[in-house]
Amino acid sequence: MSNIGDGVGRETPVTDFRSMSKVSVGQILGLVEAVDEVGGVADAATIAREVDMDIDRLGPILGAAEFLGLVTVEDGDIRITDLSRKLLMASVRERKKIIREIIDDLPTFRLVMDMARNAGTPLGRQEVVQALADRVGSHQAEDVFKALVYWGRYAELVRYDSESEQLTVRVAPT
Amino acid sequence: MGDAQPLLQVKDVSKSYFDNGKEFKILDRIRFELAEHDFVCVVGPSGCGKSTLLRIIVGLDTPTSGEVLFEGHPIRADNPQVAMVFQSFALFPWLTVAQNVELGLEALHEDPAKRRAVAKKFIDAVGLTGFENAYPRELSGGMKQRVGIARALAIEPLLLCMDEPFSSLDALTAQNLRDEILQLWSNPDLPPEAVLMVTHSIEEAVYLADRVIVLSSRPGRMVAELEIDLPRPRNRKDPEFYGWVDEIYSLIV
Repeated sequence: MSNIGDGVGRETPVTDFRSMSKVSVGQILGLVEAVDEVGGVADAATIAREVDMDIDRLGPILGAAEFLGLVTVEDGDIRITDLSRKLLMASVRERKKIIREIIDDLPTFRLVMDMARNAGTPLGRQEVVQALADRVGSHQAEDVFKALVYWGRYAELVRYDSESEQLTVRVAPT
Repeated sequence: MGDAQPLLQVKDVSKSYFDNGKEFKILDRIRFELAEHDFVCVVGPSGCGKSTLLRIIVGLDTPTSGEVLFEGHPIRADNPQVAMVFQSFALFPWLTVAQNVELGLEALHEDPAKRRAVAKKFIDAVGLTGFENAYPRELSGGMKQRVGIARALAIEPLLLCMDEPFSSLDALTAQNLRDEILQLWSNPDLPPEAVLMVTHSIEEAVYLADRVIVLSSRPGRMVAELEIDLPRPRNRKDPEFYGWVDEIYSLIV
């Protein structure tokens, strides 16, 4: 086991939706593909070297992938899950659906979705950030909001207009 | 298919720049053809003129000698059958994702409803549904390039040209997008009929292409044209894959 791999596991506690604010869906899928290509298990240090990313960059991606249940990280080893295998076999559209099902179940995400549904009118950005601050603390609320908009858009669950700063629920296709 | 006329013919294309009467040769007698269903990568070290070659092929630059024929006719920059994806994404920052994709359709479809419908289809094909009203600044690099790809595909070109489309992306995003490009490519209901991509990454060329054209460094000359007969999906860890990468390296270095 390498020191780098160990560091990856410890420096990215998987605690909240916030871990998703610094990473993109492409990075997570790319990580899953990279691990799959070497047989489904890889040393984090090896992956870091191969994709030319240091721990500061790979760490959040690993954290988010773990948070979504797509990999497990233990003693510096990254292992893909059955859900990852399903994702790898899926088309672009099916991938969105799989991610949608994961995201929709996350408590922080659910909180905002419920707020938006109950409001019946578009929610203002400040209103959502405030509600998130009550839950995750004001220092994290902005990051969580950013993650919520990005992943919510990707999963086709929310609509956000950055001009008017208004968020609404999107009726996702089944 | 059969022995129909090739989609693209690059015939002895050379390009030189002249400075104080002195000739600087960039490209030297490049000659190859592209047929429907071809996915061809042009690979070479930086300075081999591969981006210049692509610009000549799409009609944005002219060769010093030789010619480029598209469906048997000299190529024109305004040919709607040829689309381009750029390394730098080339998006308009003040336009939304949907507006960026629709912009290229203005010359093709007069009806705004038709433009919206076509844009919607291709935004969906690249996985961008949900981001229609997002501005480029709200997107990750991979998402930005997806907009570039959707915009190029929306004109429903026969030939899609890509100039180092993944080189501004991090390695993970790039690999994911390569796979998604192959997914789009394998869908017979979607354009294009052929892809011509320029890259400096040998591994990327072997991963994507059915055929790799290898250029030497300045002036760019064709060193080899190789059929990559590896089955798909390809695995970059496969010894045979590495064998191809190794062979191309040895041709360039």
